[in-house]
Amino acid sequence: MSQQGEISQYLITQYLPGTPAEELPADYDLLDNGVIDSLSLLQLVGWVSERYAIALDQIDLNPEDFRSVAAVDRFITRNTQVSVAAASGREGVAP
Amino acid sequence: MTLQPPADAVRAGRLPADAVRAGRLPADAVHAAARLAPERVAVLHDGAGTSFAELTAASGAARVALDGLGLPAGQPIAVRAAKSPETIALILACFAAARPVLLLSVDLGAQVAATLVERAGCAGVATATGAATNAGGAPFDWAPAPVPAGAPDLPPDTCLMLTTSGSTGVPKIVPLTGAAISRFTAWAAGAFELGAGTRVLSYAPLNFDLSLLDVWATLGHGGTVVLVDPDRAANPAYLLDLVRTTRPNMVQAVPMFYRLLLDAAAGAGGGPPVPEVRHVILTGDHTPPVLRAALPELFPAAVLHNVYGCTETNDSFIHSFGADEARDGALLPIGAPLPGVRAHLVGADGASFAGPGTGELVVSTPFQAAGYLAGDRFPVRDGHAWYRTGDLVTRDDRGRLLLVGRTDFQVKVRGVRVSLEEVEQVVLAHPGVAEAAVVALPDAAAGARISAVVRPRSSGLTGLQIRSWCAQRLTRAAIPAVFDLRDAPLPIGVTGKVDRARLKNELQKEHA
Repeated sequence: MSQQGEISQYLITQYLPGTPAEELPADYDLLDNGVIDSLSLLQLVGWVSERYAIALDQIDLNPEDFRSVAAVDRFITRNTQVSVAAASGREGVAP
Repeated sequence: MTLQPPADAVRAGRLPADAVRAGRLPADAVHAAARLAPERVAVLHDGAGTSFAELTAASGAARVALDGLGLPAGQPIAVRAAKSPETIALILACFAAARPVLLLSVDLGAQVAATLVERAGCAGVATATGAATNAGGAPFDWAPAPVPAGAPDLPPDTCLMLTTSGSTGVPKIVPLTGAAISRFTAWAAGAFELGAGTRVLSYAPLNFDLSLLDVWATLGHGGTVVLVDPDRAANPAYLLDLVRTTRPNMVQAVPMFYRLLLDAAAGAGGGPPVPEVRHVILTGDHTPPVLRAALPELFPAAVLHNVYGCTETNDSFIHSFGADEARDGALLPIGAPLPGVRAHLVGADGASFAGPGTGELVVSTPFQAAGYLAGDRFPVRDGHAWYRTGDLVTRDDRGRLLLVGRTDFQVKVRGVRVSLEEVEQVVLAHPGVAEAAVVALPDAAAGARISAVVRPRSSGLTGLQIRSWCAQRLTRAAIPAVFDLRDAPLPIGVTGKVDRARLKNELQKEHA
């Protein structure tokens, strides 16, 4: 499954049960439409961090990055690239 | 107990009752505090302090820009209530200019916001920019109302217009006079020891009536307001860190805040207590006993207060208690009426009664509105306007008042009052909906979880489409968490109405 498909699937399972995956547009506003509230935002951030191994303590969290499936997708892509780059820069150093 | 002399004088008509003079009262208090200690921090936001001198300078700049708009005297404006020192300065400028201000929640749908602006007769919407506390630049962005507003029918001396807390559809507008706000801030300062340098945590949005205490009573008495960042208001670690770093003397919040805070403290293995907190106010909903019991450990020096109030009347009852009562699991009473507050219980027969029993709580407070804007005025009896709270209250044999629940279909979602009937009306108004019922189930995190059970007219309608429809017409807390689309007709009960009890049962099983 594509990264975007995986994000859609998670959001639907957690917050939009019964919604067919193809019905959720990638740009659907999750915040304005009340799919994600302040509590579930934390949950979502936690899932993204765990699933994609993004260390949150080095990242400025901005709710805008979780406004839509496409935004989450961009956020993950951006931050996994950064950590890959950072990891390769520290080659040979024990974690 | 009597009211403060200035308030009494206003009520007795000895002070000029004209709108301009009284409308300045909340601004006068802040300016007086600024003259006494210009360097003192007025607002702490994101680790940075804004001094009283800086706040009043920013407010002065906003005042100049406001005057530059050339609006007719007394015509209201709307202000987007984003939580920042700049917004506080902008509101203060409106107070000082005797310009009534409608505070708009940042969560309002565009349609609802536009309707409110029109109903309140606002000339436009101002959104504070960061420029007010920096050099140069416009202190706020100005969006004139698309339709030139007609002459608003505001009560004289209207200072602030709040909207009914989180209610749905188009919220009702509650105009509050400067005199009523000043009477309230005077009471609050005495009750919670607000004074020069007192630090108060501001958890509620600026457009909530709770901010009359957290922000305006605090600033008016020379205290420091510690703003909680709304984007992180549900982040336990942030909240605990903020409380530990800023060490406020007073904290007022809905139960959810204390749950998050205590979760974080428990996660951190308890950690040191915060003895600077002297007053902890629980409001907005029942606080679960287990939560209450844990508070004295974190705040060992605090008196706890269960405060009952609403936007229309502001605070009306208080029950103050210590660690012992926090640890006993009994239901907290709503307590004693505040000075000047009158209350009675009305039974099912519509007559008020004395002695034990359950009825609707009807109150009259020195802090309240006389009615809704361009809507129902509260009935006046014995020279007082009485507000029907919609809350069922039991008076026990010891005379204590206990909150039982709502008389109608109102629930609280994340501390925000939501009328299920109004949500249902919005869903039913969608052209593709044949039948709908909206019910709420208890939810450990949010207080209540709203579900809309919908039978579409045709198969083309999706849950997301109805969700978007609702989002344009409801505040966020009122948007149902679940849209359950069904082909079969909704179950009908013996009264011929949709059988909500059965729907709730079915949903509970699905959710479990």
